Amino acid sequence: MFDLAVDKHTRYFKYALGMLPSTMAQLDATRMTLGHLCLVGLAALGQLDTAFSAADRQGMIEWIYAQQVLPTPAKDNAAYCGFRGGSLFGPHESCTYAASNMGNVAATYSALASLALLGDDLGRVDRRAVTGALRHLQLDSGTFAPHPGTTESDPRFIFSACAISVLLDDWSGVDCARAAKYIAGCVNVDGGLSQASLHESHGGHFYCCIASLRLMGRMDALGDERWRRRTVQWAMMRMGDGYQGRANKPSDVCYSFWVGAGVEMLGGHAFVDAEALAAFTAQCESPYGGIGKAPGANPDPLHSALGIVGLTFFCPEFPAMDPALLLPRELVAKMHVRTASGQAI
Amino acid sequence: MTRATLIDDISDVDEVEEVPLSQQPEWADVTPLEQQDGGYPLCPIAYTDSYKELMGYMRAVMAAGEISKRAYSLTSQVIEENPAHYTVWVYRKRLVTELSLDIEAELEWLSDIAAMHPKNYQPWHHRQVLVAMLLEPQQLDETHPVIRRELRFLANAIDEDSKNFHAWSYRQWLVQRYDLWTQEGFFVDAMINQDVRNNSAWNQRYFVLVRSNRDSKVDEQKVREEIEYSLEMIKRAPNNESPWSYVVGMLLRHAPEMLHAELLPRIQRMAEESETAQAMQASPFYWSALVDVYETQAMLQDGVRDEMITLAREACAALATDHDPTRMKYWEFRSSTLKV
Repeated sequence: MFDLAVDKHTRYFKYALGMLPSTMAQLDATRMTLGHLCLVGLAALGQLDTAFSAADRQGMIEWIYAQQVLPTPAKDNAAYCGFRGGSLFGPHESCTYAASNMGNVAATYSALASLALLGDDLGRVDRRAVTGALRHLQLDSGTFAPHPGTTESDPRFIFSACAISVLLDDWSGVDCARAAKYIAGCVNVDGGLSQASLHESHGGHFYCCIASLRLMGRMDALGDERWRRRTVQWAMMRMGDGYQGRANKPSDVCYSFWVGAGVEMLGGHAFVDAEALAAFTAQCESPYGGIGKAPGANPDPLHSALGIVGLTFFCPEFPAMDPALLLPRELVAKMHVRTASGQAI
Repeated sequence: MTRATLIDDISDVDEVEEVPLSQQPEWADVTPLEQQDGGYPLCPIAYTDSYKELMGYMRAVMAAGEISKRAYSLTSQVIEENPAHYTVWVYRKRLVTELSLDIEAELEWLSDIAAMHPKNYQPWHHRQVLVAMLLEPQQLDETHPVIRRELRFLANAIDEDSKNFHAWSYRQWLVQRYDLWTQEGFFVDAMINQDVRNNSAWNQRYFVLVRSNRDSKVDEQKVREEIEYSLEMIKRAPNNESPWSYVVGMLLRHAPEMLHAELLPRIQRMAEESETAQAMQASPFYWSALVDVYETQAMLQDGVRDEMITLAREACAALATDHDPTRMKYWEFRSSTLKV
């Protein structure tokens, strides 16, 4: 239905997986997420199966597992387990100071999703250690910290914890009632959702909240039917040429997914002006492959993958993507994963 | 700046950047830890030599959890290059605490980091921890030097980017913890006055409205004032989502009966008066507000239900065909949700 430069974008993702420029050193601690997004982009284009040799795949799988922080013999690092955001940290065996070697729930989600995308069965994941760390990271308010020792905590990490629980089919690390209550508090008077009660409604946090509720089977936390409709309306109002993340801000390709996937989960698929979205995405495509956040911006893995997935919700010729997990529906079906309330996803 | 001090400054910078850590006597006792990236790393970065060296020393001192001034200065260098390095921030906080370092100096350094990397969450959280360490809530007012400095820093950050999400979030924490409601009311007024489309400022307005009272109650007098204010701002730019969302959302939550009784006659008058009629009639937010007003009234008042639903549907139709055709299908759906 819409033109996507499949060959060029495929080359872009493979290139980014192989080497990023020195100017991206500030993403060194989030390489797991960048790699994940490149794999997602390839999967959404239907190119993942043919992109790599079996040996390359295995190599990537080994790199991901090498980032797993396992329980120490003394078992004194329970809150620190999970996957690290990259290989910039010290070798596991050298790290005697616990905080020098810790997982991050966002990286753990990306690692598990990447392993699944690469065809791994997650057999070498220390499931008890991962879900055990989640229990340490959920706060009394219901939200999650990404790792110990920070005051950072918001729906990005609730979402990560929920996605981890789905992929491992083990919800023992998440108190869903408390998490849903926190998210209910994030619903703003304009119908949008934010990182905390009374903060500004934001497309990224909106996504994390809606996807978490979907994975927990707790959409009811959005309020009664009227408030839920107000949330749909807030998301619809973000649609202009592309999607914006907040009211009165310019459009940005990443919200094709953050807001667009929320719209999918809230049942708004039929309301979207897909032609406008396709036209905006085309303006943001780099002639060399990859997509930038806005027309003329340099491409990066995040905007490339999310721009493509957001658009493919309207392109039946590409693999269908699950909006809550950011994985191909076919793969999700094969994994037989379920929500916290036991429903198939 | 005189020529001499300029040269001094330049040579200072050169000195820090040019001597590799491996040649500094201070680091002679440390063996850098190489990065282990395996055979097929995901998204490896073409590190510069200086970054690679810096990270080698960082890994070494951090693996051992060394508590020293030199480790602290190393974390500064790493964060300047890579502010999302989440474990270094945890380590740095420990260093500041255990070495009893000067928190004022730390805050000054942080201001530069936040300016260099405005999209990063971590510097703002670090800042919050430091200010909380410096100051207990009960010991001050708005004139306390720490609070004045924080408000000045925030005003600068918001001046740089008036919709900086982190700056507004941090403001909420500061205002709430130290009870700074009066100045916040003035600040929000000024920000909206400066840019009536600044949605972050409108959001802060609601935050102040709700939280500045101890019991989170919004009384009728306050609601009337806010309707008045919103309408004045709508008059300036009727096609501006922020004040419409604010006033309709506030009324839906705190005084739904006033949507029909107070807001409706006012906006209808604006849609008729020659000065504002054209812009009001062309604004999708005016019509969208009508849908909410009529739907709410249909639920609140017996006997007018059919009439109100019909009016709400007419507003949806006007949106779908004339005023917001991009969302035509949505407004058709919205109309179908209005049940007689």
